[in-house]
Formats: sequence, structure tokens, C-alpha cells
Amino acid sequence: MTAQIPDQATRKYDLKFARWVRDNVPGGDKMNMCMQCGTCSGSCPNGTEMDVGPRKLFMMVRAGMKEEVLNSSTLWECTSCYRCVARCPRGVPVTYIVQGLASVAAREGYAPKIENANFANSFWWSANAFGKTDERLVTMKYFFSFGLVEGVKKALANLKIALGMVKAGRMHIGMPHKIKDTKGLQAMLKKAAEIEARD
Amino acid sequence: MSEKKTYTYYPGCSSEATGMHLDTSFRAVMPELEREIVDIDDWNCCGASVGLIGGGALPQTVLNGRNLAKAEERGNTDVVTACAACYLNTHGNNEKIKESADLRGKVNEALEAGGLKYSEDLQVHHAMEVLVNDVGMDKIKERATNKLEGLKVAGWVGCQTVRPFAMTDAGGNYDTYEDPEFLDDITEACGAEATDFKPKTNCCGGSVAVMKPEKTLHLMQTILEAAVESGADVVSTPCPLCQTNLEMYQEAINKEFGTNYNIPVVFPTQLMAVAFGLDSKKAAALHQNTIKADKLEKMAK
Repeated sequence: MTAQIPDQATRKYDLKFARWVRDNVPGGDKMNMCMQCGTCSGSCPNGTEMDVGPRKLFMMVRAGMKEEVLNSSTLWECTSCYRCVARCPRGVPVTYIVQGLASVAAREGYAPKIENANFANSFWWSANAFGKTDERLVTMKYFFSFGLVEGVKKALANLKIALGMVKAGRMHIGMPHKIKDTKGLQAMLKKAAEIEARD
Repeated sequence: MSEKKTYTYYPGCSSEATGMHLDTSFRAVMPELEREIVDIDDWNCCGASVGLIGGGALPQTVLNGRNLAKAEERGNTDVVTACAACYLNTHGNNEKIKESADLRGKVNEALEAGGLKYSEDLQVHHAMEVLVNDVGMDKIKERATNKLEGLKVAGWVGCQTVRPFAMTDAGGNYDTYEDPEFLDDITEACGAEATDFKPKTNCCGGSVAVMKPEKTLHLMQTILEAAVESGADVVSTPCPLCQTNLEMYQEAINKEFGTNYNIPVVFPTQLMAVAFGLDSKKAAALHQNTIKADKLEKMAK
């Protein structure tokens, strides 16, 4: 006699996370249009570097796999090329949703060790402090976000490229470029963060 | 022929560093095509593709809202930027603000904390869209008196220049997402030859290439391979990050894949500057390419 088939028919998807994504992630309200055709994953230039492609990631959202979704490398390997957005036959803003999920993962501390979250934080630091991206300082802050030894290693590995840029006059030397009204900008960004937390 | 027109110009952060040669050449060619450009006063960063992750959705929109409010002060309806990421953010957020009174209210509430307000409906354009829709290829061809005869150019558009807005009404409907023709049209208007280069809208890896080049070298290898196979002397791209990535990682790619690439990567505005007979340094800024475009430089007047 064969063993009894395990009773999985009663297992239900937990829709709480999918509903939360629908209401809180920009573009998330369009995710229910996804028919799992896989055009996005097939079009993705960097899919080979991801844990799972966007199609599967969306299915995982539907299945309530919050931890797996927010820990997935997919969020950080997306290069924002928007090919999936252009090709999706159902008009799902795939890139925007992936970026929105990355933003949630960074905010909730899911990705503290992941390169892109460190880079995003270094980038935002420069935008907020100077009103501009100082590519040189952002890169250095990013390199050293991995600790002193790793930072020196990464900086040395890129030294030749950096010197080439300096020679071509494409790397700024000296004090960072700053906007005149950094105070005004910082007040606006602070207010924006308050409004976002309020609404 | 279209009338002389003034655009408010958003140079973006790369214009002061890695993309200086795009800014210089863009500023040089626009007046030659009878288009005035006036900078946004005290413009700030657009947030690029990671600002949303670092700062959140509304702060990212407010960054762009500040630029739009500052652009409004200039009194022109049309804003232009030559950087793909600046365009993506400024145009994308502008359209969202135009569509939603609620969002405009929130953006203005934040802007007010710094004494600004965005009340107009400006129109943000990509420099390439302006060249196609407003200037027109005939005018570029007419102005290109120093034809780049014999120069073979692989036209690599990249992604964010055309995606996700090139085929939308608000984006000017100026070309396709997959196989755009405008870059080859510019090459040929300059008298050069556009090679049969297939991966026109392939991605270089964008900011992921800056963070983790080892994850994206394969993307650039595909682009370089196709460019060399097409017989190109140079690659032309309108995007400052594409230009920098494809240029600075060639050595790493050679090491990783055992290849021998050393192909110059230039901007279409640099091609135009040379074809217009302008100065190779002051207008075309060819001295700022780390892989020298010797053949193009020799054609300069």
C-alpha cells in the first residue's frame, strides 16, 4: 500500500504581505495584474546574478514570503534598465515595485550588509549634506562602509581608474561641490520625511 | 524650420565630474542649432536610481520638486537635461506631480519649509528628444559642415534615455524602447557611418556596475564585443554613466574575459561638435575621454 498523500490542500497563502505591498509600495497596486508569464525575468539583463527573477519574486509576495522577499538579492541586482516595464504585457511597473521593495528592505534593516544599501545610504548622505552627488566622496564612503581593511582594499583596487579620471579632469579635486541653499534643501527633505511618516 | 527657442537646462551632478565632456559639448552645440539654454539656478541632485532607497519616495520627489520650482523661476515652459538618470527622475516626478493634486500638495508643503513653491506645469525633455522633435535631423545635417567621413560609429543608446518614457506622449514619442534609430540618424547627419550594432538598448549595469563591477562586467563585455564585431572605430552613447562605465571598465573586462578591447566611447554631442567644426578641446572636450578617440580628433578643425 502506498503512503498517504500529505494533506497540502488546506494550506492557504497568507495574503497579508501582498496586501501590505499593494497599499504601501509605489506601483504595488498594479501587482495583481501580473499573470506570471515571465516576460520580465526573460528580459532581465542581470537575472543571472539574482536569487530569483522578478516573476518568481512577485509570486513569493503573493505567497506571503515576506522574509524571503526582503532578503532576496533580486532587490539589489536590479540595474533599473526598465526593460521589464517596457515589455510587460499587463502594464505592471516591475522596476518601480522592485525598487520600492528594496526601499522597504533598507528601511527595515533587512540589508545592512548588502553593497547596494550601503551605496544608497552613502549617496543619500551626499545629496542631503551638499545637495549634490560628490562621486568621489560617495564612492569612498561606500568603500569604507565595509570597514577599514575592506575600504582600503577597495580603494586601492580602483586607484588606477581614479587616477585616469583625475588626469582627464573628470574627478573633482578639493572641497565638494555644494548648492548655495543647503539649509533650505535640508529643511525640505526633513519636512518630506515627516510628511511621509505622517500619511 | 522651427523657431529659436529657450530651454531651462538642468546639468546634473555628473556635469561637474565624470560627465563634464557631455555638459561641455551639449552647451557648445545647442546655440549652433539656434537653441538657447539657461541653467536652473542652484540646482540640486535628482537622487538617481538609489535615492529612493536611501531617502524614501517623498524625499526623492521633493529633491526633484525643488529643481522644478527653481526651473519655474526662469520663466520657460521647457526644461532640458542631457543625463539619463536626471531625465528619468525629473521628468517622471514632474508627470506624477502634474497628475496628482494630492502629491503636489505634499511636495509644496515640503518645499515651503525652504521658501519655495512649484505651481506651473513645466515640460521636462531629454536632450535627445529635443534634437529629434524640436531641432530635427535636417538642421543637424545642414550645420555639420565638417563631415566625419570614414568614421564608423556604433550607436549605443543604453536604457534610461529611452525607457520608460520615449514612447509615451509626455516623453515626446520620439523613438522606440528596443531598437531606436535616432542615435544612428545623428551619426549619419554628422557624415559618419553608423555600423550594424545590435544591442542598442542593452544595459551597462548602471549604478550596480559602480558598486559591484564583478556582477556586471558580462553586460559590458556583450556591448563591446558587438561594437568591435560591427567594425566600429568608436562607440557613441548619450548617457554619462554608460560612457563612464564602458570606458573605465575595459581594462577589467580584458582581464576577466581575456579580451583586448581599447575602443573609445564618445557622446553624440562630441561627434556633433567636431562635425560642426568647433574646437576639439573647448567644445568637443575630446581630451576628457580616457580612451582617446584619435581618429575623431584628427578630423577636428
